[in-house]
Amino acid sequence: MMNQWAFVIAAYAVTLAGTALVSLMSWRGMRSAERRADQLSDRG
Amino acid sequence: MPYWRWSVGPATDAILMHRFANPARFLKIARPLTGWLFWPGLLLLLSGAAVGLFVTPADYLQGQTVRILYIHVPAAWLGMGGWSGIAIAALMQLVWRHPLAAIAGRAIAAPGALFTAICLMTGSIWGRPTWGTWWEWDGRMTSMLVLFFLYLGYIALANASARQGQQGGVSNVTAIFGLVGAVNIPIINRSVVWWNSLHQGPSITLRGSSIDGSLLWPLGFTLLGFSLLFGAIVLMRMRAILAQNKVEARMQRLARG
Amino acid sequence: MKAKHQRLILALAALVALVGAGLLAASALKDEAAYFYAPNDVKTKGVEPGKPIRLGGMVVRNSLKRAADGVTIHFDVTDGKATVPARFSGIAPDLFKEGGGVVAEGAFDAKGMFIATNLLAKHDERYMPRELEGMTYNETTHEMKAEK
Repeated sequence: MMNQWAFVIAAYAVTLAGTALVSLMSWRGMRSAERRADQLSDRG
Repeated sequence: MPYWRWSVGPATDAILMHRFANPARFLKIARPLTGWLFWPGLLLLLSGAAVGLFVTPADYLQGQTVRILYIHVPAAWLGMGGWSGIAIAALMQLVWRHPLAAIAGRAIAAPGALFTAICLMTGSIWGRPTWGTWWEWDGRMTSMLVLFFLYLGYIALANASARQGQQGGVSNVTAIFGLVGAVNIPIINRSVVWWNSLHQGPSITLRGSSIDGSLLWPLGFTLLGFSLLFGAIVLMRMRAILAQNKVEARMQRLARG
Repeated sequence: MKAKHQRLILALAALVALVGAGLLAASALKDEAAYFYAPNDVKTKGVEPGKPIRLGGMVVRNSLKRAADGVTIHFDVTDGKATVPARFSGIAPDLFKEGGGVVAEGAFDAKGMFIATNLLAKHDERYMPRELEGMTYNETTHEMKAEK
């Protein structure tokens, strides 16, 4: 039944997109913050 | 047992408690742990999802739509688990004045809210072909929506308090809000038992599972996978807040000095 | 007593009081927050005709009858204690079937027939592959047995 698969695919797409988005945003936030902190300590 | 045997002694207690309160010590563990949680978590959840999509049999009643189970259940678990984490962090913040607890609470809020939203959305997508409705105001759905709004309130409070110089953590008022909101967690859990609801009762209880083993096993993969990933995300967000604190502390010293 | 311990006791006492109050309030709402009436609720509490409610239960086996117009169906809804006749015109969800769960929105007419305006299918907590269908399910042990 193709119709059922449409619902399944929609649910998986929503989940994977949300998970990827929050992972990426958290990682980028962490990387930029830690980079700035490291630059400060390099300058002593 | 004499009372002084209850604890290792006030001094040691304090050391044990504050061993992880020290950001440098915490970071020493958190830095390698982030990757160790993230990659196995991603691998587990992707393989669990693949098995759930292509390997396990369809349900006798629902057919293919039963596959939404493998992502809906972990999302619900993380939405509720996230708030439990916020409540525990709030308790540690209010009682032991643990500085990392306030930061942990703030780090959990956004991913917790996201997975609650994913739970609501996948549930809605699942409800249409099975029950015949996108949304009904039954006990389970309503209490889960309340959880989502609690997260939004917590995030608003946390952002307001972070601006007022709470060292990147949440204020005590926010922590109290987190503790009070925990009332909703057992309500969500019991909602299908106490009230007549459209949502079915719990499948996995202490007595066993009413999900047949051939359908159940990938759920273990996705549950563990999403949980590890959630842990990694919380660590990343905590590390970001700690690094910001370091920058801000330096700026203040420069401004004064 | 140290301040830390005072805070701990205070926080725990507040938490217990809060959770207790919340759960008490929630269980007091038991009837108000019920999403639907079971046939036995209808029998014991009585629902006046014309009042819009939801009726939930199982569709009695062999009770489903299609009227001559092709869109109207008649069926009985039971919760094991009481049974109520119901009527619905329209498209029922795929999972609506005899022996399955149903939540019907509508109202009773003067003769005690439930006139549904919308049907929702309610399924239980069991999930299994098609090969296992028709096996009996033991509620307490969660075991499946082949039917004799």
